[in-house]
Amino acid sequence: MRIKQKLFFVFLVLMTAGLSSIAANSSFTGMVRDYAAVRTQTMDMPVHEQTLDAFYEHSTDMGQLTLHPVVYSNPNKALQLDLAEAYFDFYLENADVRIGKQKVIWGEAEGAFITDLVSPRDMRSFILADFSEIRKAVPAVKVDSYAGPYTLQGIWVTHFIPTSLPEPDSMWAQTPSFPFPPTVAVTVTDPAIPDASLENSEVFLSIGRFGNAISWKLNGGSVFTDEPLVSSVTAPTATSREISQAYERYTFVGGSFNTAFGGLVLRGEAALALDKPMNSLDPSKNPPITIERHSQIQALVGLDWNMAGAQWSSQYLMVYTHDHTDTLVSQMKPVKEFAHTFTFRVQDTFLDEQLTLRLFAYLELEPLNTLLRPSISYNFGNGVLLEGGMDLFLGDKDGTFGTYASNSLAWAALRWYF
Amino acid sequence: MRTHRCYQTVFLVIVLVLGMSALVAADFTGEQVMWEVYNRDSGDTMRANLVMTLTNARGSVRERSIVQYRMDTEGVESKLMFFLSPNDVRNTSFLSLSYEDGRSDAQYIYLPALKRVKRIASDSKNDSFMGSDFTYDDMGSRHPSLDSHTVLRKEQMQGTSTLVVESIAKGNEDYPRTLSWVVEGEWFGLKKEFYKRDGTLGKTLSIEAFEQIDGIYVITDMTMKDWEKQTSTRIQMKDVEFNLDFDDNFFTERQMKIGPRG
Repeated sequence: MRIKQKLFFVFLVLMTAGLSSIAANSSFTGMVRDYAAVRTQTMDMPVHEQTLDAFYEHSTDMGQLTLHPVVYSNPNKALQLDLAEAYFDFYLENADVRIGKQKVIWGEAEGAFITDLVSPRDMRSFILADFSEIRKAVPAVKVDSYAGPYTLQGIWVTHFIPTSLPEPDSMWAQTPSFPFPPTVAVTVTDPAIPDASLENSEVFLSIGRFGNAISWKLNGGSVFTDEPLVSSVTAPTATSREISQAYERYTFVGGSFNTAFGGLVLRGEAALALDKPMNSLDPSKNPPITIERHSQIQALVGLDWNMAGAQWSSQYLMVYTHDHTDTLVSQMKPVKEFAHTFTFRVQDTFLDEQLTLRLFAYLELEPLNTLLRPSISYNFGNGVLLEGGMDLFLGDKDGTFGTYASNSLAWAALRWYF
Repeated sequence: MRTHRCYQTVFLVIVLVLGMSALVAADFTGEQVMWEVYNRDSGDTMRANLVMTLTNARGSVRERSIVQYRMDTEGVESKLMFFLSPNDVRNTSFLSLSYEDGRSDAQYIYLPALKRVKRIASDSKNDSFMGSDFTYDDMGSRHPSLDSHTVLRKEQMQGTSTLVVESIAKGNEDYPRTLSWVVEGEWFGLKKEFYKRDGTLGKTLSIEAFEQIDGIYVITDMTMKDWEKQTSTRIQMKDVEFNLDFDDNFFTERQMKIGPRG
């Protein structure tokens, strides 16, 4: 971003802050964070980032305007400015309409994306200072219509936004291994974003009931794959291959629920992806990489409870791929017919809730690998928090988490909410 | 001889005082008093601003502000709270639905950073409410059937006649015995003592101020003191309004996300 643009952005942020102090029914709030992480194996510091995450809100009788600018500052890198969200809310008697760039969260799962397919993910860093930053906003029109405890929600995402993947030079980049001899030069072209057209937009529909005994939602949508697939392999010469990538469309249906039994909260979520496009890798064929369509089920069940003064939570996630073959791959890594993942979380507070201890863990069974995230935070009051923790990648290096074994981190963060 | 007569007089006075107290107290059973407290007119709907001041053992003070909405309908007490400060919890909202028939509460929390309403485990009634000396149970109306109640005596407090009611929990509680000083006829408490399992005094709730708003007695200033931790929490209620007209969608996921507007 050029200097003039940066200055304009900073001016815009300051102007909105100033406006909020003048205008009635306006507020300018947010958080400034300093986050640093050290790799435990190499003792280098790959991240020392300052973040301004701000919200400007202006309310009227009709509704509310929300602007959500974010500024990231990293050493020796250009300032990264982003308007993370910008939308209008209109509150009608029995309906709400939100128009603009917005994040939409679906489902009951924590740390897993089953029906939560409206907002793509920012996977440029596998580990983020705040999990909430993993979602990217989409340009959309969202309508919620209410009838008693029932809500009907329709979402039209006007432009497809893909999940962001790590840059090739990032410590989180995964270099795919293609089935060609080392003498063959492979060129991978960036995937083309589908043209901006009505045909290429995404639509989602949900109906749900907010109930005391049980709350549930049924969802569905017509979407593009968040990550690109290899769409074609060509051989311009005997010693070179050109790999093209594309985003492919599919539909899904699913649902989620939550209920309570005494002190136990039971959550569930499932989705059926109909004829989901997946890559098939078979070196004996020509071309060796093709697209196949397989239905896929993801199902999760979770339990939350309180015990010994602490909050506990555990989840089990299963992914089943129908008509599975051993050639199926995702990002050139084998896809299993059944994949099983567990998550576990425990959190307790001390010193009148000023000190919080947390542990979050992912455990993938085959191959056995895990991500452990112990952390501690101290709240000084008045919106100032000091945090520290570790992200430990352990286990089989072919696993989702074990592959980052050399990226285990110790981190610290200071936040100031204003 | 004179000493003996003096003892007789003192004994007579004690018998008379105890006897009169027992007579007065016998007008109401403990169960009746606590049901009167539970069923006291507290308005079908209410809105108030709460300022919570937490003082720790070292004397340092933190303040939290909340706007609270309440509605009683058909055996369900719905309560919706929006946290206004401190800044790190601003726009977080908490919805609880309590049932007269003794069913477990339904509790939900909305975390704006996650943009998600989560049902939370509700057996945490003995847990601290927002790090304060109040528990979730203290913040709501405890159902009388959860305890056995006995009127111990009648006592003057703040120039008002109160009935001192002993409540013994039927279930497993952190404070299995409590004493409540209930204003006779108006049926609200002026003081409550919480006794631990070993019989020692654990917490004291003191009412500093109350007023009548729209014909309803409202406790506008109260302090909970934890004697073991040497901490205290003061809750002041301001801008109290009763009998507001909430629409059907107010105590729902929708309003939790929208915030205290509309």
